[in-house]
Amino acid sequence: MVLDRDTNIHPEIWELLNEVPDPEIPAINLVELGVIRTVERTDDGTIYIVITPTYTGCPAKQLFKDLILEKLAEYGHHKVEITSRLNPAWTTDWMSDATKEKLLKIGISPPSVGDRVIVCPQCKSTDTKLLSPFGSVACQSMYSCNTCKEPFSYFKCH
Amino acid sequence: MNFTFESNESKFLLRIADTSLILAQRLAEMCSKGPFLEEDIALSNTSLDLFGRAEELYKIICRIENDKFEPDELVYKRNERQFYNLKLVEQPNEDFAWVIVRQFLHDVYAKEVFTELLKSENSEVVGLSQKVLKEIKYSHLHAKDWIERLGLGTEESNSRTQSAVNHILKYIEEIFNFDDIDKTYLSNTAEIESKWNAEINAVFAAYNITRIEVPPLSMRDYRDGFHSEYMGPLLSVMQYLPRAYPDAKW
Repeated sequence: MVLDRDTNIHPEIWELLNEVPDPEIPAINLVELGVIRTVERTDDGTIYIVITPTYTGCPAKQLFKDLILEKLAEYGHHKVEITSRLNPAWTTDWMSDATKEKLLKIGISPPSVGDRVIVCPQCKSTDTKLLSPFGSVACQSMYSCNTCKEPFSYFKCH
Repeated sequence: MNFTFESNESKFLLRIADTSLILAQRLAEMCSKGPFLEEDIALSNTSLDLFGRAEELYKIICRIENDKFEPDELVYKRNERQFYNLKLVEQPNEDFAWVIVRQFLHDVYAKEVFTELLKSENSEVVGLSQKVLKEIKYSHLHAKDWIERLGLGTEESNSRTQSAVNHILKYIEEIFNFDDIDKTYLSNTAEIESKWNAEINAVFAAYNITRIEVPPLSMRDYRDGFHSEYMGPLLSVMQYLPRAYPDAKW
């Protein structure tokens, strides 16, 4: 299961949302991250966006909303309402393989189902060890590579 | 402000929300005071999770109560007797062992409660519980690891852990005095208690910690807004800024 979203409705809005970066991992955007669930537009032009937060304690929760409003306003969309929905809960399963590939490229080991195979973003070795389940941001753990000895961040599987 | 709650569901969720909030505040006090960097980050991360959990619960509660107040008002404008958190989580950070013991006893309980809430009729509560259970896994393992290291570590680490346990156990009994409101939203309260006891007893036994008999105490119930003496100072720090500068904006 990757995404159950219909991006064919209002593609022009989705395109703009594709330009909103994740504030903590700017290499990927909010659509790729999977937080934007639905986009609707009423006859009077109001845009309704539903988002699902990634982690309950993610300090970027409010920033997500601000960045979306800012981007849409830039293109003349001023009547925007953003609501948050908790069910279904956000999961790293909603990230596509292409998104995971991007994470690996910028040095963050992407989520692996059940935290089983954790790849070193430096040398691609899978011989890695957990340093601490908690990392520099809420969504990551600290690992180090037994092959190249480099430390790295791992995006927790949620 | 008038903080009366009409719905039993919001009264119930408030207990969990307040418990998360107050524990988050206690852990936030540890920020920059952890014994080493990774541990400092771990405690701050756990604090963030708990603040986030509380925030989402307050949002659900405010919706149920027809938005007659906002989450921030629930946090900053209520007085001590209007908070309904477990006394367990307001216990101070006396030393690192207290931080870990309090966390472990809480996490085992919270894990059982949110597992029950997966069956809630409120779909937002179900979604939140799915998320929270993934987050608790990290905090729970972290606390359990430390119980092992402290319990089996040195004579000093064991005795400090034992002394934390001896103090904190006093605040456990009330957790399981479930009332009708709890029983409406938790379908199997007996199981929560038995699973909690089974895990705590097994872990303590494995790591050389004794679960002492706690004599009966005359303390009134957290469900009626009663607290230990540690709650007031905690609130005065947490609420200072918005109370000194009402409606201050960043």
